[in-house]
Amino acid sequence: MSKVWTIAKREFLVTVTRKGYLFTLFGLPLLMIGGLFAASMLSRETFRDSQANQGPAGVVDRAGVLDFRLQAATRPTGSTIPLPVPGVSLESELVAYDDLDKALADLRKGDLSAVFLLEADYLQSGDIVVYAAEKGIFAQLTRTGRRQLSALLRASLASGRLEEEAVARILTPGRFKEMQVSKQGRIQPEGNLLKRVGRFLGPFIMFFLLTISIFMSSGYLLQGIAEEKQNRVIEILLSSVTPTQLLMGKIMGLGAAGLLQVAFYVVLLVLPASLVLTLMTLSPGQILLSLMYVALGYLLFAGLMAGTGLLGNTSQESQQLSVVWTMTSMIPMFLAASLMTQPHSWLARSFSFFPLTAPVTMLLRLSTDEVPLVDVLVSTAVLILGIFLAVKGAARLFRTASLMVGKRPRLAEIYRWLREA
Amino acid sequence: MVAPDAIISVQEVSKNFRSVIAVDGASFEIGSGEIFGLLGPNGAGKTTLIRLILDLIRPDAGSIRIQGQPISETHKNRIGYLPEERGLYFRQRVMAVLEYLGTLKGVSIERVRSNARDWLRRLEIDDSRNRPVQELSKGNQQKVQFIATVVSDPDILILDEPFTGLDPINVRLLVRSIQELAAEGKTVVLSVHQMSLVESLCRRVFMINRGRQVLYGDLEDIQNRHSEPSFLVRSGADYRTCELIDRFSGHNAATTVYLKQGVEPARFLRWLLESGAEVESFQRARTPLDEIFIRVVRDSS
Repeated sequence: MSKVWTIAKREFLVTVTRKGYLFTLFGLPLLMIGGLFAASMLSRETFRDSQANQGPAGVVDRAGVLDFRLQAATRPTGSTIPLPVPGVSLESELVAYDDLDKALADLRKGDLSAVFLLEADYLQSGDIVVYAAEKGIFAQLTRTGRRQLSALLRASLASGRLEEEAVARILTPGRFKEMQVSKQGRIQPEGNLLKRVGRFLGPFIMFFLLTISIFMSSGYLLQGIAEEKQNRVIEILLSSVTPTQLLMGKIMGLGAAGLLQVAFYVVLLVLPASLVLTLMTLSPGQILLSLMYVALGYLLFAGLMAGTGLLGNTSQESQQLSVVWTMTSMIPMFLAASLMTQPHSWLARSFSFFPLTAPVTMLLRLSTDEVPLVDVLVSTAVLILGIFLAVKGAARLFRTASLMVGKRPRLAEIYRWLREA
Repeated sequence: MVAPDAIISVQEVSKNFRSVIAVDGASFEIGSGEIFGLLGPNGAGKTTLIRLILDLIRPDAGSIRIQGQPISETHKNRIGYLPEERGLYFRQRVMAVLEYLGTLKGVSIERVRSNARDWLRRLEIDDSRNRPVQELSKGNQQKVQFIATVVSDPDILILDEPFTGLDPINVRLLVRSIQELAAEGKTVVLSVHQMSLVESLCRRVFMINRGRQVLYGDLEDIQNRHSEPSFLVRSGADYRTCELIDRFSGHNAATTVYLKQGVEPARFLRWLLESGAEVESFQRARTPLDEIFIRVVRDSS
């Protein structure tokens, strides 16, 4: 056991002082948070710029239906409009014009964002012609002024004909207050947009970081073993320890490095997010199960990567071979949108019961919703079986493949090694 | 042929790699405290034999025993191995590498550190202890590899080409170290291509070619067996007049004299003394080991 401990200690210390590990530990979360912040700022600025370029809209009312004095009353109060970016208003001033040519001249000069023309037969036809300057597609999409014109039309047509309260309801039919009902029956306000986005992004970021930690740790194992084979240290190591001791020591050491990474993410990112910002809606059970799948996923890929590390002649060659495992296990990532919206579909369940895709799929499902117990039990069982086979296979390859150099082995040869060892 | 106090015993060991016969029925024993030479041309099966002894690979047939027992973890802890190809963590510092490889033999870190410092001084690379291995010259890297083998103070040393990359001064330094270790009672298995070093270090050898044993036993016996009946003589005698001589070569200081088939050396010595010439020295001439090596390899191929 002391030899396993010696190997584990060295692997841990060498790994946690690697530049790549430190970057993943500190840099990756910062990069993700920074990226989200930068994207948010960028879209906000872009939106604001497009708004700033627009200015008021001109209206030529040949039908004589509009009462511009009601314009102030038609401005909505409260945050009923789900703006994509907080602090940016879609409102625009409507300016009355008698002459269409003058309005169009102002539009060409850039004083107006658009010109609306209501012909004399508006009441019969309902047609409104919109003149807009040639601008970017973003400005077209905002359709500035239409909302105000519609509100002003409703107000002008109803005013004097209906009661004041009815006019108010026509202008603002309702102000929605959204409440969230949990599975336990707890009812609470939905919260603002930031929190709603956070509730989706929080678990997703956690899922992403946990997945990264599985593949980073097992990737280091692959790299370490491939390097030891390449620089022939493995022959000296195996003259002192058994293949199983070496493998166990490496899995423990790199597992501890991975655990440190996960603990760091949980303590410094997930807990503050759930306690202070209430961004996380995951239950303690979901979090614990997620951690269990990280551990099982790590053990499975550690076994696979250790074996793969022994097959190549160089570190690069082994990494190329390992793509088979990483690509297969990443299939659920490519289908994340489908799996997160339908976490209990037959596709999600199938992936959960296949060892290579089970860790990522279960982490995805757990970040979205509670997972049925039977799914947890079956996926855990197949993962344990997968781990047993992967670790046993890797230990067998240590005895045969670790000393082999030359051309890359073929599948038949690998099979023979696994049987002979 | 059984060595006294056999510490390593290899009996009828064979190993195949698919259709290639790497070792075919090898049998030998290595005595405690001896320097044993493992010889053979490139690709003969020496490294496979070493890996079999170390239990890195398993034999297809035969048995290998250390101190009369199949190799165990305790045995592994008492064997130091220097592989033919350098195997070190090149980006790590010398001392860190030695500490790691030493403690993997089950020795305390304090003892490993103390032994490492001592050996770094003995091999004159004490100033490199905190430098990354990759910054050292090839010769000094080889010295670090040697220290990694002895740092846990093992009882058995298996050295596969330990002199690779060393200049003559450092070869002498390492030869002296190996002799000192043997004098302390360590068993040394030495695989080298420099036959002169084998002659000066080993008492017994095992030679393998194409997986098969071609020579095994006491080096002096082997040399005698493979030498023609010849003598190195320093005298003023006129060999042309001697009927016992088949041929001779060399003049003045020393002459190698080859006797006719069946002639007893004592008869030739008697003739030499009776010839009246002054005899300075008379000794049996032995064929150098490298010549025997070439001859045996050629014959067995």
